Amino acid sequence: MLAIRGLHSHYGRSHIIQGINLDAGPGEVIGIFGRNGVGKTTLLKTIAGWVKPSEGVITLGELGLGGLTPDRICHSGVGFVPEDRRIFPGLTVEENLSLGLLQVKGRPAREQRRAVEAIYDRFPRLGARRHQLGTTLSGGEQQMLAMARVMVGEPRLVLIDEPSEGLAPMIVAEVFAIVRELRDRGAIVLLVEQNVHEALSVSDRFHVVERGRIVFSGEAENADDRARLMQLIAV
Amino acid sequence: MSPIDYLQFVLAPQVVNGLALGVAVVLVALGLTIIFGMLDVINMSHGEFYAIGAYVALAMGAAGIGFWFLLVLVPILMVPLGMAAERLLIRPVFDSKDRHVTTLLVTFGLALIVEDVLKVIFGPNTQRPPTPIPGATDLFGIIVPNYRLFLIAVGALIVAGVAYVVYRTRLGAMVRAAAFDRNMAASLGVPVSLVYAGTFAFGVGLAGLAGVLLAPIYSVFPTMGRDFILLAFTVVIVGGMGSIWGAVVAGLLLTQVQALASLVISPVWTDPIVFGTMVAFLVFRPQGLFGRLGHA
Repeated sequence: MLAIRGLHSHYGRSHIIQGINLDAGPGEVIGIFGRNGVGKTTLLKTIAGWVKPSEGVITLGELGLGGLTPDRICHSGVGFVPEDRRIFPGLTVEENLSLGLLQVKGRPAREQRRAVEAIYDRFPRLGARRHQLGTTLSGGEQQMLAMARVMVGEPRLVLIDEPSEGLAPMIVAEVFAIVRELRDRGAIVLLVEQNVHEALSVSDRFHVVERGRIVFSGEAENADDRARLMQLIAV
Repeated sequence: MSPIDYLQFVLAPQVVNGLALGVAVVLVALGLTIIFGMLDVINMSHGEFYAIGAYVALAMGAAGIGFWFLLVLVPILMVPLGMAAERLLIRPVFDSKDRHVTTLLVTFGLALIVEDVLKVIFGPNTQRPPTPIPGATDLFGIIVPNYRLFLIAVGALIVAGVAYVVYRTRLGAMVRAAAFDRNMAASLGVPVSLVYAGTFAFGVGLAGLAGVLLAPIYSVFPTMGRDFILLAFTVVIVGGMGSIWGAVVAGLLLTQVQALASLVISPVWTDPIVFGTMVAFLVFRPQGLFGRLGHA
């Protein structure tokens, strides 16, 4: 269970997140929508520990995440797929994936190998390019790698920021299929996405953010809520 | 003098001497470039860590500890020193806006302090430990001191070992990932603070090892770090700040240029050639011959 209470965070003097409350349970996909610059990405970065919360509480199960370093947050079961994928230049596909294995401490080498092979079975194109530098992959393949790098760690909470940005429609469908897989594995997924229609197809619930606050929350299947969402973000 | 004699008695010995100096410079530059590539910190005290390694080896050698044991012991002793320096001097200013200037000044201050402390403890005079491997070998008519051959071989092994760890292990992948993108690496579980401290300490350990290895050739004196570090900085800049292979290629190349140029022009002009090369690289190719650690 993810619980966020009274979350505030700043970039320097700019007050970006201004009191966000949010709950999510295992196997739930929560869409986070809003116009550019309203604090969606900062919300994910605050949960991931890239931005220190100035106030508020973030808990995942029994664990308090607020104020922890990003590596400790990762070890608490949080995976982060940031907006620009952040594939490490100079590292091969396999090396990028091997870093994802660090999330689970003390996993035997044989299990680690099995987890990586399972990823290659799921993403054959990554398997075929395992010795290639990650940054030489196509945009879609890099997005797969960024998501696979998180999946290999088997996180309980996955934060995904704009996964479909700049990708061809076929790849976008694949990206959202992965989001469904994460949900089916029982992970909580917080999905920030501009492609609202696609995102709603995988989301259970959603929140609309404006100026660092949640101004509307709804059910993805509820037609009235969807209509209100479209009004708010003026799609 | 016939061309064959010139080759055998003038050119070849000069190339071998240049090679030994090149390996020595690469050993000092290796730690410097790793620290720069990883932490983005220009460690002005790196030469003094090299000097500390040499003095520790000198003192322990005088106390009866054998050279071969010192080769292992001194770098190990340098690691906690590096950890302490990183924790007390680098980390407190690491996240400041002016990190480059601040860390440069902090480490420069440390260098001055260490140099004076070495003067106070060991005196200003030059000391030279005995050569661990005496004698010379006749290599196709070229007489090469055995210890220089040993230095070339060990230097190659150290470079290969470091490159293996950095480029072929998961630990190395963690280091390169953290060098490129600290936040993303941390979000995948890389303990970035520990990796930074470990990398700094590893670089300091390498400087200490260089001190042990080079003391029998270049002697030990309080300003030895300052003298050597200028050439090491040049190598790091020309090779590409943070690039291990860059340090190797630039180190071997520049010292050969220095050695061979001194055959045709007055030796006083070799330093301007080398440092002029550094200035030219800074102006026209600031990224150096190779990229940076963690970068493509």
